[in-house]
Amino acid sequence: MRNNIMGVLFASDAEDHLNSLTIHRTTASLPFGGRYRLIDFALSNLVHANITNIGIVTRSNYNSLMDHIRMGRDWDLNRKNSGITVFPPFVFNSSHDVYKGKIEALFTLRGFMMSSPEEYVVIANSNIAFNLDFEEVAKFHEEKGADITVLTYHDELNPRKIIVSADKNNRITDVRYAIGGDVGEDLCNLNIYFIKKDLLITLIDNAYAHGAYDFEKDILQEHLNDLYIMNYEVKDYVAVIDRIPTYFKRSMDLLDPEVREALFYKHSTILTKVKDSVPAKYKETADVKNSIIADGCVIEGTVENSILFRSVKVGKGAVIRNSIVMEDSIIMENASLDYTITDKDVIIQPNRSLSGYESYPMVVVKGKVI
Amino acid sequence: MGKNSKKECIAMLLAGGQGTRLGVLTSNVAKPAVPFGAKYRIIDFPLSNSINSGIDTIGVLTQYRPFELHQYIGNGQPWDLDRLNGGIYVLPPYMGAKSGEWYKGTANAIYQNIDFIDNYDPEYVVILSGDHIYKMDYHEMLKDHKKNNADCTIAVREVPIQEASRFGILNLKKNSRQIEEFEEKPKQPKSTKASMGIYIFTWAKLRQYLIDDENDKTSENDFGKNIIPKMIQDNQRLFAYQFDDYWKDVGTISSLWEANMDVLYGKELNLDDDKWKIYARNNAEPPQFITPTGKVSNCLISEGTVVKGTVKNSVISNSVTIGEGAYVEESIIMPGAVIEDGADVRYAIVGWNARIGKNAMVGETLEPCKPGEWKIAVIAPNYNLPADAVVGPNEMIG
Repeated sequence: MRNNIMGVLFASDAEDHLNSLTIHRTTASLPFGGRYRLIDFALSNLVHANITNIGIVTRSNYNSLMDHIRMGRDWDLNRKNSGITVFPPFVFNSSHDVYKGKIEALFTLRGFMMSSPEEYVVIANSNIAFNLDFEEVAKFHEEKGADITVLTYHDELNPRKIIVSADKNNRITDVRYAIGGDVGEDLCNLNIYFIKKDLLITLIDNAYAHGAYDFEKDILQEHLNDLYIMNYEVKDYVAVIDRIPTYFKRSMDLLDPEVREALFYKHSTILTKVKDSVPAKYKETADVKNSIIADGCVIEGTVENSILFRSVKVGKGAVIRNSIVMEDSIIMENASLDYTITDKDVIIQPNRSLSGYESYPMVVVKGKVI
Repeated sequence: MGKNSKKECIAMLLAGGQGTRLGVLTSNVAKPAVPFGAKYRIIDFPLSNSINSGIDTIGVLTQYRPFELHQYIGNGQPWDLDRLNGGIYVLPPYMGAKSGEWYKGTANAIYQNIDFIDNYDPEYVVILSGDHIYKMDYHEMLKDHKKNNADCTIAVREVPIQEASRFGILNLKKNSRQIEEFEEKPKQPKSTKASMGIYIFTWAKLRQYLIDDENDKTSENDFGKNIIPKMIQDNQRLFAYQFDDYWKDVGTISSLWEANMDVLYGKELNLDDDKWKIYARNNAEPPQFITPTGKVSNCLISEGTVVKGTVKNSVISNSVTIGEGAYVEESIIMPGAVIEDGADVRYAIVGWNARIGKNAMVGETLEPCKPGEWKIAVIAPNYNLPADAVVGPNEMIG
C-alpha cells in the first residue's frame, strides 16, 4: 500500500576505521555476505515497507556506489514517481570542505525533502546489515505519539557506541558517548531515526543556523525534555560494520543458519544488483565445508569456514580457511589463506601463504597481486 | 496511430509447443519454460542469442500453457529487451474481427502475426524455436543470407546417418550450399545435413508464401512440411548455413539430462563466457551454503541452495535443499526441490518444488547405457514423494 514515508541514507560512515576496505569505495558499497553491498540491506528494507522515495547522501569515493545502484532497477526503484536520488558530495563555500556531520548533510537535502510529498522521513546509516519491518516502526511512532523514534540495539562486540537510556515507557532519557566502563549491556544507537519531515527541517535549520553539526549531541540531547524522543529497540539480528574486526566477525556470523534466516528471510527479501553470473562449479577435487559460495565461483581446492564472493577461482591444492575472498579474486594452486580478507580482483600466486589472526585479520587491498 | 521505426531484422520465437516427450515436466508449463543448467530456462538460450546478435525485437508465439512463460518473460528486462522501440512481445493466439483461432502450425503462427511484423517493416525475419540449447550468432548467419542474396537460409548441422531420419534433411546442389531438396524425417536420408529449425527469411518473400499457404486448404501450415518445400519447388534461393558448434534439442528426458551434463562438464558448451552471456530472470537469493556435513564434487550449484548431504556429478538449481545424509549422483535437481535427510537420488530429474521424502530411493546405479538412452527417473514438479518410497530407473512419477 501507498505510505507517507521517504528515506534518507548516508553512504559514508566509519570509513577511517575500515580504511583498507574503503579506499576505493563508500561504506555503503562495502561487499558483504558473498553477493551483497551493505546498502542493499537498508534499501531492501525500505522498499519492502513501500518507502520508495529515497535520497542517498555521499561524501567521497562514491563511484562504486553509483555503479552498484545505477538507476535503482534491482530494487524496483526506477520509478516514474519517486525512486533513488544520489546526492554527490556538497562542498560548502565557507569551509571548502564537504559536510562535517549529519546536520550539514541534511541541510543540503533541504530542497529535496521540501519538494517531496511524504510527511515522514526515515534517516539511516548504510553500514548496517539488518532485516527490519519499517511499517512496524511507523506504527510504533504513531502509537507512542513520538516526535522522534530512535532505533536501538545491543552490541556485544563494540561498546564504543552512543549509549541510549530510556524509561519504562520507552521515552529516551539520555544520549551519551560511551566511556571506558561501559559494557555491551547498554542500548546502543543504531543510527536509524523516524521523524516527521517538517519537524526535521525545523530542527536542522535551527541547528545549522547555530553552527551545530552533531545530530546526536545538538539535536537529540538538546531536545530530550521538550520533544518525545522514543526508543524502538530492534531485537532481531543486527550487524553494524564499523571496523575491520567487526566486518570479519559479522561476516563469519553468516555461517550460522539462524543468522542467515534472520538476515535474509525474516521480513524483507534482500535485493542486490544482478550480474548474470553462471552457477558455481565444484570440480572433482573440490572440498568445501561450512562455507558461503556465490555464483560464478570455480573451485578445485579446499574451502572451509569461509565466504567466497562471485566468480572467485580456487586452484588445485589451494586451501582457504576462515577467510573472506571478494569478487573475481584468484587463489592459485597450492596457495593458502587463513584469517584473511582479500578485496576484489586480488591474485594470490601459487604456493603463497597468507595468514592473519581472528581479532586482526589480514587484509589484501583491491587489485593486489601477491 | 504512431508507427514503429524500421528494424532491419526481427526474430519470431515459436514457443507454443507442448513438448509431450518431456512428460510430467511439461504437464503444466510450456517446454521453453522448463528449467535448465541450474539457473536458466530453455528459452534463455534463443533470447540471449538474439540480444547478443544485436536483434532487439522479438515476438514470442505462445499457445500451450503460456502463463508461466508469460510471467517469466515479463517486460524482458533480464535480457535487456525492455525497449522504447522494439523489445519483447508475447503473442498468444487472438480473436480477430471476423474470426479467431489457435495457431494451426508453425507457419500459421507467423501468418497470424503478419501485422506485428509489418509494424517494424523488417527486411529479414529470423524464425527460432524454444527447445534448443546452443550459443549462436544470428548476425553471422544473416551476413551469409545477404551474401547469397538468399530468400531463405536454414541453419544445418551434420548428424550421424543412422539418426538422420529423425530430422528435416537438406540435400544440396553439387559443390554449392544451395538447397535442392528438403525432406522432413526421410526414411532413406540422402544426406546428413539436418535442419536445426532456425531460419532466416527475406520478409517480403516469406510474407507472400505465408498468405499463399494459408489459402491452400490442403496445407498443414508448417515450415518444414509446406513453406520450405514450396519455395524450393518454385526455384527460390534457399541456402544452408553450416553450424557445427554445440547444439542440442532437449525434447526428450534423455537429451535434457544429457544437455545438463554437457553444461556441467563444460567441454562442448561453456556458459562462463563474458562475450556471450546467457541471461536469465533471477530471484534475489542469498549465495549457496555448504554446511559442515555437506560434500560436493563435480557439480554446478546455484543461489539459495543449502547442501547438507553428498552431491556428485549433478546440476543443482537455486533454492534447493539437500538434507543430511542424502546422496545425489548423476542427477538434475530443479529449483526449490527438497531432498530430505537420507534420501538417495541417482540418474534422476527432480522437478521444481518437488519433495523427496526421508530415505526414499529414486533411480539407481545403471549398467552402462548407450548415450542418448539413459534410463532417467523423473519426479514431477511439486510432487511429494513419501518417505521410504522407491522409484526405479526410467520411471516417471506424478
